Amino acid sequence: MASGALITFCLNIMSALVALLTSYYAYKANRYVSSSVLWAISIGFMLLGFGLVIDAGTSLISGRTLVDITGRTAGESFSDRVLTLLASLTYLTLQMVAYLVIAIGYARSTYGRQLGTAAPAAAVGATLVSLYTFSILSYFVTLILLAFVVFQGLLLRSGRGGRLSWMVLIAFLLIFAAHCVLLVSVLVLGPGLFLVGTAIQFLGFLSLLIFVVRSEVIGPG
Amino acid sequence: MAQGEKQRSVLRINLDILNAVRDEGEAKPTHILYKANLSHERLVKYLEDLTAKGLIEMKQEGENRTYNLTPKGVSFLIEMRHAESFVQGFGLAI
Repeated sequence: MASGALITFCLNIMSALVALLTSYYAYKANRYVSSSVLWAISIGFMLLGFGLVIDAGTSLISGRTLVDITGRTAGESFSDRVLTLLASLTYLTLQMVAYLVIAIGYARSTYGRQLGTAAPAAAVGATLVSLYTFSILSYFVTLILLAFVVFQGLLLRSGRGGRLSWMVLIAFLLIFAAHCVLLVSVLVLGPGLFLVGTAIQFLGFLSLLIFVVRSEVIGPG
Repeated sequence: MAQGEKQRSVLRINLDILNAVRDEGEAKPTHILYKANLSHERLVKYLEDLTAKGLIEMKQEGENRTYNLTPKGVSFLIEMRHAESFVQGFGLAI
Protein backbone atom coordinates (compact mmCIF):
# COMPACT_ATOMS: atom_id res chain seq x y z
CA MET A 1 0.00 0.00 0.00
CA ALA A 2 1.23 3.55 -0.78
CA SER A 3 2.32 5.51 2.31
CA GLY A 4 -0.16 8.30 1.47
CA ALA A 5 -3.09 5.88 1.62
CA LEU A 6 -1.81 4.40 4.89
CA ILE A 7 -1.48 7.85 6.49
CA THR A 8 -4.97 8.76 5.23
CA PHE A 9 -6.34 5.51 6.67
CA CYS A 10 -4.75 6.13 10.11
CA LEU A 11 -5.79 9.80 10.35
CA ASN A 12 -9.34 9.15 9.10
CA ILE A 13 -9.96 6.16 11.35
CA MET A 14 -8.87 8.19 14.41
CA SER A 15 -11.00 11.15 13.29
CA ALA A 16 -13.93 8.74 12.80
CA LEU A 17 -13.57 7.43 16.37
CA VAL A 18 -13.63 10.99 17.76
CA ALA A 19 -16.66 11.85 15.59
CA LEU A 20 -18.55 8.77 16.87
CA LEU A 21 -17.53 9.56 20.47
CA THR A 22 -18.81 13.14 20.07
CA SER A 23 -22.03 11.77 18.59
CA TYR A 24 -22.48 9.49 21.62
CA TYR A 25 -21.93 12.31 24.15
CA ALA A 26 -24.30 14.59 22.24
CA TYR A 27 -26.91 11.79 22.30
CA LYS A 28 -26.34 11.30 26.05
CA ALA A 29 -26.64 15.04 26.79
CA ASN A 30 -29.75 15.26 24.58
CA ARG A 31 -31.54 12.70 26.78
CA TYR A 32 -31.58 15.32 29.55
CA VAL A 33 -31.61 18.60 27.62
CA SER A 34 -33.76 17.75 24.54
CA SER A 35 -32.25 20.33 22.17
CA SER A 36 -32.57 20.31 18.37
CA VAL A 37 -28.92 21.43 18.11
CA LEU A 38 -27.73 18.48 20.23
CA TRP A 39 -29.86 16.12 18.15
CA ALA A 40 -28.31 17.56 14.98
CA ILE A 41 -24.79 17.29 16.44
CA SER A 42 -25.44 13.67 17.43
CA ILE A 43 -26.79 12.66 13.99
CA GLY A 44 -24.27 14.84 12.11
CA PHE A 45 -21.19 13.45 13.86
CA MET A 46 -22.53 9.90 13.55
CA LEU A 47 -22.84 10.35 9.76
CA LEU A 48 -19.40 11.99 9.69
CA GLY A 49 -17.93 9.07 11.64
CA PHE A 50 -19.45 6.49 9.27
CA GLY A 51 -18.28 8.51 6.26
CA LEU A 52 -14.72 8.68 7.58
CA VAL A 53 -14.75 4.93 8.30
CA ILE A 54 -15.82 4.30 4.69
CA ASP A 55 -13.08 6.62 3.35
CA ALA A 56 -10.48 5.01 5.62
CA GLY A 57 -11.65 1.56 4.46
CA THR A 58 -11.40 2.64 0.81
CA SER A 59 -7.81 3.87 1.37
CA LEU A 60 -6.93 0.62 3.13
CA ILE A 61 -8.47 -1.72 0.55
CA SER A 62 -7.60 0.16 -2.66
CA GLY A 63 -4.26 1.53 -1.39
CA ARG A 64 -5.16 4.95 -2.84
CA THR A 65 -6.53 8.25 -1.54
CA LEU A 66 -9.59 10.09 -2.85
CA VAL A 67 -7.39 12.33 -5.03
CA ASP A 68 -5.72 9.26 -6.61
CA ILE A 69 -9.12 7.70 -7.30
CA THR A 70 -10.45 10.97 -8.78
CA GLY A 71 -7.39 11.54 -10.94
CA ARG A 72 -6.55 8.08 -12.29
CA THR A 73 -8.94 5.23 -13.01
CA ALA A 74 -7.10 3.43 -15.80
CA GLY A 75 -5.39 0.09 -15.28
CA GLU A 76 -7.82 -1.46 -12.82
CA SER A 77 -10.71 -3.88 -13.13
CA PHE A 78 -14.24 -2.62 -13.71
CA SER A 79 -15.55 -4.01 -10.41
CA ASP A 80 -12.69 -2.40 -8.43
CA ARG A 81 -13.35 0.93 -10.12
CA VAL A 82 -17.10 0.75 -9.39
CA LEU A 83 -16.48 -0.18 -5.74
CA THR A 84 -13.97 2.61 -5.09
CA LEU A 85 -16.21 5.11 -6.90
CA LEU A 86 -19.24 4.05 -4.86
CA ALA A 87 -17.28 4.19 -1.60
CA SER A 88 -15.91 7.64 -2.40
CA LEU A 89 -19.35 8.93 -3.44
CA THR A 90 -20.86 7.54 -0.23
CA TYR A 91 -18.13 9.18 1.89
CA LEU A 92 -18.53 12.59 0.20
CA THR A 93 -22.34 12.42 0.40
CA LEU A 94 -22.32 11.38 4.07
CA GLN A 95 -19.87 14.18 4.88
CA MET A 96 -21.99 16.76 3.08
CA VAL A 97 -25.24 15.55 4.70
CA ALA A 98 -23.51 15.44 8.12
CA TYR A 99 -22.45 19.11 7.98
CA LEU A 100 -25.85 19.97 6.50
CA VAL A 101 -27.60 18.40 9.52
CA ILE A 102 -25.30 20.26 11.95
CA ALA A 103 -25.80 23.55 10.09
CA ILE A 104 -29.61 23.08 10.08
CA GLY A 105 -29.48 22.32 13.82
CA TYR A 106 -27.65 25.59 14.49
CA ALA A 107 -29.92 27.48 12.07
CA ARG A 108 -33.06 26.22 13.80
CA SER A 109 -31.61 27.23 17.13
CA THR A 110 -30.87 30.76 15.92
CA TYR A 111 -33.46 31.58 13.24
CA GLY A 112 -36.38 29.22 13.86
CA ARG A 113 -37.62 26.38 11.68
CA GLN A 114 -38.04 28.00 8.27
CA LEU A 115 -34.46 27.33 7.10
CA GLY A 116 -32.86 24.29 5.57
CA THR A 117 -35.36 23.00 3.01
CA ALA A 118 -33.47 23.89 -0.21
CA ALA A 119 -30.06 22.53 0.79
CA PRO A 120 -30.96 18.77 0.80
CA ALA A 121 -32.24 19.08 -2.79
CA ALA A 122 -28.90 20.59 -3.82
CA ALA A 123 -27.07 17.68 -2.17
CA VAL A 124 -29.18 15.09 -4.04
CA GLY A 125 -28.76 16.92 -7.36
CA ALA A 126 -25.00 16.94 -6.97
CA THR A 127 -24.84 13.12 -6.95
CA LEU A 128 -25.75 13.04 -10.66
CA VAL A 129 -22.34 14.30 -11.84
CA SER A 130 -18.91 12.62 -12.15
CA LEU A 131 -16.71 11.83 -9.13
CA TYR A 132 -14.30 14.67 -9.95
CA THR A 133 -17.08 17.24 -10.26
CA PHE A 134 -18.92 15.71 -7.33
CA SER A 135 -15.78 15.91 -5.14
CA ILE A 136 -15.35 19.60 -5.94
CA LEU A 137 -19.06 20.31 -5.42
CA SER A 138 -19.12 18.30 -2.22
CA TYR A 139 -16.09 20.04 -0.70
CA PHE A 140 -17.45 23.42 -1.83
CA VAL A 141 -20.89 22.80 -0.29
CA THR A 142 -19.22 21.41 2.85
CA LEU A 143 -17.07 24.57 3.05
CA ILE A 144 -20.13 26.81 2.90
CA LEU A 145 -21.89 24.69 5.54
CA LEU A 146 -18.81 24.72 7.78
CA ALA A 147 -18.45 28.49 7.41
CA PHE A 148 -22.07 28.79 8.55
CA VAL A 149 -21.45 26.43 11.52
CA VAL A 150 -18.34 28.41 12.55
CA PHE A 151 -20.28 31.69 12.29
CA GLN A 152 -23.16 30.31 14.38
CA GLY A 153 -20.68 28.87 16.87
CA LEU A 154 -19.10 32.31 17.22
CA LEU A 155 -22.51 33.94 17.74
CA LEU A 156 -23.61 31.40 20.35
CA ARG A 157 -20.23 31.43 22.10
CA SER A 158 -20.31 35.21 22.49
CA GLY A 159 -23.71 34.85 24.20
CA ARG A 160 -23.47 31.84 26.50
CA GLY A 161 -20.41 29.71 25.76
CA GLY A 162 -18.65 27.91 28.59
CA ARG A 163 -14.92 28.05 29.22
CA LEU A 164 -14.35 24.97 27.03
CA SER A 165 -16.38 26.26 24.08
CA TRP A 166 -13.29 27.78 22.41
CA MET A 167 -12.03 24.20 21.86
CA VAL A 168 -15.16 23.35 19.86
CA LEU A 169 -14.75 26.57 17.89
CA ILE A 170 -11.08 25.78 17.15
CA ALA A 171 -12.14 22.26 16.09
CA PHE A 172 -14.68 23.61 13.58
CA LEU A 173 -12.17 26.25 12.37
CA LEU A 174 -9.52 23.57 11.78
CA ILE A 175 -12.02 21.32 9.98
CA PHE A 176 -13.01 24.36 7.87
CA ALA A 177 -9.34 25.08 7.05
CA ALA A 178 -8.84 21.39 6.24
CA HIS A 179 -11.70 21.47 3.74
CA CYS A 180 -10.22 24.57 2.06
CA VAL A 181 -7.00 22.58 1.53
CA LEU A 182 -8.92 19.43 0.51
CA LEU A 183 -10.91 21.41 -2.07
CA VAL A 184 -7.70 22.82 -3.57
CA SER A 185 -6.11 19.34 -3.55
CA VAL A 186 -9.05 17.92 -5.54
CA LEU A 187 -8.98 20.90 -7.95
CA VAL A 188 -5.27 20.51 -8.71
CA LEU A 189 -5.23 16.73 -8.08
CA GLY A 190 -2.40 17.12 -5.54
CA PRO A 191 -1.91 14.05 -3.32
CA GLY A 192 0.48 15.96 -1.01
CA LEU A 193 -2.08 18.69 -0.39
CA PHE A 194 -4.73 16.04 0.20
CA LEU A 195 -2.61 14.55 3.00
CA VAL A 196 -2.05 18.01 4.52
CA GLY A 197 -5.83 18.61 4.45
CA THR A 198 -6.51 15.21 6.05
CA ALA A 199 -3.91 15.97 8.76
CA ILE A 200 -5.47 19.39 9.52
CA GLN A 201 -8.89 17.73 9.71
CA PHE A 202 -7.45 15.23 12.19
CA LEU A 203 -6.12 18.13 14.32
CA GLY A 204 -9.66 19.52 14.36
CA PHE A 205 -11.00 16.20 15.64
CA LEU A 206 -8.15 16.08 18.16
CA SER A 207 -9.31 19.44 19.55
CA LEU A 208 -12.82 17.99 19.76
CA LEU A 209 -11.47 14.94 21.62
CA ILE A 210 -9.68 17.17 24.16
CA PHE A 211 -12.95 19.06 24.67
CA VAL A 212 -14.99 15.86 25.18
CA VAL A 213 -12.44 14.44 27.65
CA ARG A 214 -12.11 17.73 29.56
CA SER A 215 -15.87 18.28 29.74
CA GLU A 216 -16.20 14.77 31.23
CA VAL A 217 -13.42 15.43 33.80
CA ILE A 218 -13.81 19.10 34.67
CA GLY A 219 -17.52 19.87 34.24
CA PRO A 220 -19.12 23.20 33.34
CA GLY A 221 -17.21 26.48 33.45
CA MET B 1 -39.64 39.00 34.86
CA ALA B 2 -37.11 41.72 34.12
CA GLN B 3 -36.73 42.74 30.48
CA GLY B 4 -33.94 40.78 28.77
CA GLU B 5 -33.99 38.08 31.43
CA LYS B 6 -34.52 34.67 29.87
CA GLN B 7 -37.10 32.30 31.29
CA ARG B 8 -35.51 29.35 33.05
CA SER B 9 -36.27 25.90 31.70
CA VAL B 10 -37.91 23.28 33.94
CA LEU B 11 -34.61 21.37 33.90
CA ARG B 12 -32.68 24.50 34.98
CA ILE B 13 -35.13 25.07 37.88
CA ASN B 14 -34.87 21.43 38.96
CA LEU B 15 -31.06 21.69 38.84
CA ASP B 16 -31.11 24.90 40.91
CA ILE B 17 -33.26 23.13 43.52
CA LEU B 18 -31.03 20.03 43.55
CA ASN B 19 -27.88 22.17 43.84
CA ALA B 20 -29.46 24.11 46.72
CA VAL B 21 -30.35 20.85 48.50
CA ARG B 22 -26.82 19.50 47.91
CA ASP B 23 -25.18 22.69 49.22
CA GLU B 24 -27.34 22.84 52.35
CA GLY B 25 -27.17 19.16 53.27
CA GLU B 26 -30.42 18.95 55.22
CA ALA B 27 -32.13 21.77 53.39
CA LYS B 28 -35.13 23.65 54.75
CA PRO B 29 -37.77 24.72 52.20
CA THR B 30 -37.19 28.42 52.96
CA HIS B 31 -33.47 28.05 52.13
CA ILE B 32 -34.23 26.18 48.91
CA LEU B 33 -36.85 28.79 48.03
CA TYR B 34 -34.30 31.56 48.49
CA LYS B 35 -31.48 29.82 46.57
CA ALA B 36 -33.67 28.57 43.72
CA ASN B 37 -35.48 31.92 43.47
CA LEU B 38 -39.01 30.50 43.33
CA SER B 39 -42.41 31.32 44.80
CA HIS B 40 -43.60 29.04 47.60
CA GLU B 41 -46.39 27.60 45.47
CA ARG B 42 -44.04 26.67 42.61
CA LEU B 43 -41.38 25.32 44.99
CA VAL B 44 -43.89 22.92 46.58
CA LYS B 45 -44.84 21.62 43.14
CA TYR B 46 -41.21 21.10 42.11
CA LEU B 47 -40.27 19.46 45.44
CA GLU B 48 -43.18 17.03 45.11
CA ASP B 49 -42.08 16.22 41.56
CA LEU B 50 -38.42 15.65 42.54
CA THR B 51 -39.47 13.51 45.53
CA ALA B 52 -41.73 11.41 43.28
CA LYS B 53 -38.80 10.89 40.89
CA GLY B 54 -36.65 9.68 43.79
CA LEU B 55 -34.04 12.44 43.42
CA ILE B 56 -34.66 13.96 46.88
CA GLU B 57 -36.22 12.67 50.11
CA MET B 58 -38.17 14.54 52.74
CA LYS B 59 -37.61 14.24 56.50
CA GLN B 60 -40.32 15.44 58.88
CA GLU B 61 -39.35 16.08 62.53
CA GLY B 62 -42.27 17.72 64.31
CA GLU B 63 -42.89 21.02 62.60
CA ASN B 64 -39.57 20.95 60.74
CA ARG B 65 -39.36 19.61 57.23
CA THR B 66 -35.99 19.11 55.51
CA TYR B 67 -34.85 17.69 52.18
CA ASN B 68 -31.83 15.54 51.29
CA LEU B 69 -30.41 14.27 48.04
CA THR B 70 -30.90 10.54 47.45
CA PRO B 71 -28.06 8.48 45.87
CA LYS B 72 -30.07 8.69 42.62
CA GLY B 73 -30.14 12.48 42.98
CA VAL B 74 -26.37 12.61 43.54
CA SER B 75 -25.63 10.55 40.42
CA PHE B 76 -28.18 12.61 38.42
CA LEU B 77 -26.34 15.81 39.42
CA ILE B 78 -22.98 14.30 38.36
CA GLU B 79 -24.45 13.24 34.99
CA MET B 80 -25.98 16.68 34.53
CA ARG B 81 -22.65 18.35 35.34
CA HIS B 82 -21.04 16.49 32.42
CA ALA B 83 -24.02 17.12 30.12
CA GLU B 84 -24.01 20.84 30.98
CA SER B 85 -20.30 21.10 30.22
CA PHE B 86 -20.80 19.39 26.84
CA VAL B 87 -23.80 21.55 25.98
CA GLN B 88 -21.98 24.78 26.93
CA GLY B 89 -19.10 23.77 24.66
CA PHE B 90 -21.44 24.04 21.67
CA GLY B 91 -22.64 27.45 22.85
CA LEU B 92 -25.92 26.17 24.27
CA ALA B 93 -27.51 26.51 27.69
CA ILE B 94 -29.68 24.18 29.78
